Formats: sequence, C-alpha cells, structure tokens
Amino acid sequence: MKVHVNTFANLRDYAPAGKGSFELALADGASLADVFAALRIPATVQAVMLVNGRRADVATRLNGGDEVTLFPPMEGG
Amino acid sequence: MYGWCGKVLRVDLSLGKITSEPLDPKVARDYIGGRGFGIYHLRKEVDPTCDPLGPANKIIMAAGPLTGTAAPTGARYVVTTKSPLTGAITCSNSGGNFPAELKKSGHDALIIEGASVKPVYLWIDGNRAELRPAEHLWGKTTHATDDALRRETHAKAKTAVIGPAGEKQVLFAAIMNDRDRAAGRAGVGAVMGAKKLKAVVVRGEGEVALADPEAFKAANTNYRDAFKAKTKDNPPALRTHGTAITVVGTQSHGVFPTRNFQQGTFEGWESIYGETLTRKYLVRAKPCFSCPIACGRVTRIPDGPFKGEGEGPEYETVYSLGSDCGVDDLAALTKANYVCNELGLDTISMGSAIACAMELFEKGLLKEPEAGMPVRWGDGHALVALTRMTGMREGFGDILAEGSLRLATRYGRPELAMVAKGLDFAGYDPRGEQGMGLAYATSPIGGSHMRGDPAYFELLGVPVPADPHTWQDKPPLVAKWQDLFCVIDAAGLCVFFSVRYLVEQNLMVKPVGITELLNGATGAGYTPEEVETIGERIFNAERLFLLAAGFTRKDDSLPPRITKEPMPTGPAKGMVCKLEEMLAPYYRLRGWSAEGVPSEAKLGELGLL
Repeated sequence: MKVHVNTFANLRDYAPAGKGSFELALADGASLADVFAALRIPATVQAVMLVNGRRADVATRLNGGDEVTLFPPMEGG
Repeated sequence: MYGWCGKVLRVDLSLGKITSEPLDPKVARDYIGGRGFGIYHLRKEVDPTCDPLGPANKIIMAAGPLTGTAAPTGARYVVTTKSPLTGAITCSNSGGNFPAELKKSGHDALIIEGASVKPVYLWIDGNRAELRPAEHLWGKTTHATDDALRRETHAKAKTAVIGPAGEKQVLFAAIMNDRDRAAGRAGVGAVMGAKKLKAVVVRGEGEVALADPEAFKAANTNYRDAFKAKTKDNPPALRTHGTAITVVGTQSHGVFPTRNFQQGTFEGWESIYGETLTRKYLVRAKPCFSCPIACGRVTRIPDGPFKGEGEGPEYETVYSLGSDCGVDDLAALTKANYVCNELGLDTISMGSAIACAMELFEKGLLKEPEAGMPVRWGDGHALVALTRMTGMREGFGDILAEGSLRLATRYGRPELAMVAKGLDFAGYDPRGEQGMGLAYATSPIGGSHMRGDPAYFELLGVPVPADPHTWQDKPPLVAKWQDLFCVIDAAGLCVFFSVRYLVEQNLMVKPVGITELLNGATGAGYTPEEVETIGERIFNAERLFLLAAGFTRKDDSLPPRITKEPMPTGPAKGMVCKLEEMLAPYYRLRGWSAEGVPSEAKLGELGLL
C-alpha cells in the first residue's frame, strides 16, 4: 500500500531527496513505526504524529491512501 | 530584598510628580511580580467602572523577580490596565530588553496614574527619574521615537513607546518596546496615549541581587543543560523557523482560522508558513534578553511593492493578517506587520478587524464608497492600506480603529466579530480545539491564547499530547494551565521555555523548575504547591476585577459561528465547540458559583476576602 507523508522542520531532513511531501510504499498492515523505520528517523528525534489530521502514535495502523503528518513538538505560537 | 529590587516608582502625570515607594514584602511574596503585581494594584487602586481612557485609569508596568536575571527567558514584563477595547482588565506581556533594563535600574514596577495636559516621556536613569516634554516626538513612529529618545538620553537606553496609533487612541494600540516587541493586546497603547505619555525610557547599570547565587546557578545550569541536551537531536523549530512554523500544527489539525473563521484550513498556507518565511525573507533569528531559543525574526523583503525590513511576522500575525483575511502573499502580510510595529498596533486585532470588514464586504453590508476601496478576501494591497489608515485613523481606518466588535455592530451583525469579551481570538479555531474554546471564553482579558494556552497539549505535543476533539477532559486542564500561565507571567519568564523545561512534563504541569529559580533568586522558600496557589490567586483576583467591571456569566461566551455552525472543512469537519458543556464543570472545580462568581470559601482560601 501507499501512504502520503508530510514532514516539517527538522523532520524534513529524513524525507527522501529532502522533499517534505512524498508517497511512501509500505507493507499491508504497517504502522507509523514502519514509517519511522523506513525514513530512518532516530529514536531520539521527537515528533508529533497525525494520520488524516487526527492524533496518532507509533502503534497506529495505516491504510492505503492515509495522510501522515510529522512535525517536531513546538514550544508555541 | 533579593530577586525583587524592592522599589516601585509611582508617576502622577496630572501633578507631574514622581515618588519612589518600597515594595511591600508581603505583596511580593503573595503575588510574585509581573501580572501578579498588576492585578494587586489594579484592584486596590482603580475603580473597575472607570473610563479606561480617563485619568482615573492607571497603567501598571511590572517585571518579575526573574526578569533581568540569568534565568532562561527572564526577559518579560506585564502591562496591566483597564482595557478601552473591552472594558475588562488587560495584562499584556512583552519581552525584549526593556523589562530587564527596568530591573537593572532598580525598579520592580511603575504605577502610572492621572493624565498629562501636554505630551511627556518618563526618563529613568538608575535612581533618577524625571518627566520630560515630548511634543517634539508626538506624531512620530515607534522607530523614529526610539531613535530620537536614545539620542537625547543615552545610546544604550531601552524604550517602551507608543506610535501614532496610541496617540490617536486606536482601541487596540500596542506599547512597543525595543522597537519591535509588543505589549500588544487590548489597547494598552491607547491608555498611554490618553495619558499623553509618549514613552518610558530606562537605563540601569545595576544587577539583580540573588538570595542564593549558588542554588540559582545550579538550577539555571541544570535547565539550560536540559535544553541543550534535547535540542542536540531536536533543533528547536522556533529558532529555525520562528513561531510561524506553528501553521503546521494548526493547518494539519484543521484549526487554522481562515476568512474570519469561516473555515479551519487555508489553501494558501504553504505560501505563508515558517519554512517559507525562512527561505524567502529571514535575515536572522533574534533572541530576547537571556533567551536560548531566539524565536524573534529579523526579516527583509528585498523588492516589489511591499519592499521593507523589520521584525516579524509571528504565527499570530500570519493567521490574523494572512489566512484570516485570505491573504496568501507573505510579502503583503509581512509589510502590514511592519506597519503595525511602526504605528504601534496589535497585529491580532488589526487583522481580525480587517477580516471582519472583508466578510461584511462579501455579504454586501459594507460598500466600496464607505470603505474607500474594495475590501476583498486576499487583497494584500488593501490589507496594507487599511492597516496604515487604521494606525492613522484616516478614512475608513477610523472605523476599523474601534475594533472588530464595534465594526460588526455598526453593520448590524455583531456576531461576525470573532471575539470573546470583545477581544479578538488568536489563531486557533475552537471548533477543532475544545480546550481553546474554554480558554478563550474564561480568559480574564477575553479571546487570548496566552492565558493558559491549550494549543500546547491539544496541537503541539507539549509537554504531552491530549485529544483536541474531546471536551470532557478539558475543564481541569484549562484551569490548571490558566493558573500556571499566571505564575509564568508573574515570575518574568517566557511561556516557550517554561512549558518544556520548568514544569513537570505531564498535563498537570507542576511548576517545579520555576519554583527552584524563584527560590534561588528571592529566598522566599516557596513550595511548588504554594506557587500554584499564587497562580490561582492571581487568576481569581483578575476574575473579581472583571465581575466588578460589570461582566457576568453571559460574557463567558463565544460567537455562534464557533458554538453552532459546524466546521465545514478539514479534520475538524462537522464539529462545534461544546462551551456550555464545559463551563459548568469548570466553574465547579474553580470553586465558583453557577454564575461564575468565586465563592467566599475559595476567596478565603486564596486570601482575597
């Protein structure tokens, strides 16, 4: 299956070819943890995770066509 | 005293008299400083029913015990007064270098009362203070005023000034310090203008004495090291991209206010968010005093119709002058931000008033002849022109200068003003962020996000995430965070560092680090629980002023767009803010009546009877 991934700020550094928004192919039944593994994001790097605009965590299961958003925790606006 | 300077300067503008008063040690201990000193003096000295622009109103400018120390982000001061925009209390907060300089001059706070007949400025040079004529500065922009004042006082003096907007009593005029930092909200600059006080200029060479320098240093080093350790693998987005990176959090949750809160997703968001700002216009990041984050933006638009340079935009400005007006031209909204800084306007209320005008225009209620131009969504030229006209009260700008609620009321549609208690919302749509709705509605100053900002846990994952769509869990969290923000604002710290490093990293945010720093600085021997109680005392004292000014439960409200019209687009589609459901449990756990009045028992517990 394929999901769409949007990365921001320092998490963009882990996106393929530095392109912040991209398609990612994953095995059926994959979770957000598999996205982190595929992008080689170290465990020490913190991220806020959304799937289709809703809060998620590494255990969240993904479906084909899902919109995954990853950005660092922010101190505010 | 330690941490505290022990001195308050009282400036009577009617008599032209300045007196130095000792800081009452009990008031210092019970209210900490900053926002706490503000409400203490406002309640004691100002009739809540007074005309905010009359001589009976007072301005309390107060730093905290950590302001001017080496504590991370010990840079803040608070301006407390009765707001001419809302009739409520306002306690507007700013950083930069002016607040630390005030402490170095040996003062914790200034109480400014009465009104001058002719324009004056206050010059504080260490122990000496005098009022000087300011007729030659009247009419000048904030930057020109800062230049002139530093020429005629001291090159290293720090200034807090009003621009033409404050002089002309635009109801949301700001007090600008260090040129581009703003005590922005709810018209503190208009109150200064009504008093004919153009500026406060301060120079100090002292140091804030610490009660236990070793304990203070140990705590300071500990928290700065924690910051360094975390940022090694997690470069702070606020330093790299400024607060405008927050668009990512709001847009992706579908709460990025667009076209006067008609929707929560903006199709042009990528053109105006932090990474685009970094790429196109950032010159350098700029920290406030003693700040390791450096979220401030020095920017330059190199060419084109909006060519210019200055500071900003912050996230709230990107929302208010950007998405909320349908403007996806970053140069235009940045230019409008520069104009706000130079004329001395709150960018949030400015953008919100223009957004309201754009909706009135779209609905055919506001016509081109009255506005003097078409006021269409997304028109960057109109945005900049209207901002300038408002700051100068020229043409239709004279109507915008009264703020969005009076504007919408003038055209028979008050519900189109996106406000709580008359103060324009910050950049978060409460339909997709339930806690923010409760925070806006119960904030003592009205629609501010900085009175217990639930966006941290609802959107930004700090210190840990909570679901933005649920309302049942929000009353205790909002109350807890409101009290915490009172503490941060009293101590003289910035929220940005505090919520990540100086509180326990769970939703109940016990202020452990803040307490350590306060104790090292002041020797007060606070426990974190005592400090939490002080936060609750300040919040309740502000509530009492609000009630005495004539506000009631019905003013703890949000516009029907937020509570009745389902969000039309994005991840929050179909949602409304469940304010009524949250208010009753919120009042109960605060120890307030069903009408939102603090009980005698609660007031007794807090020492407010």
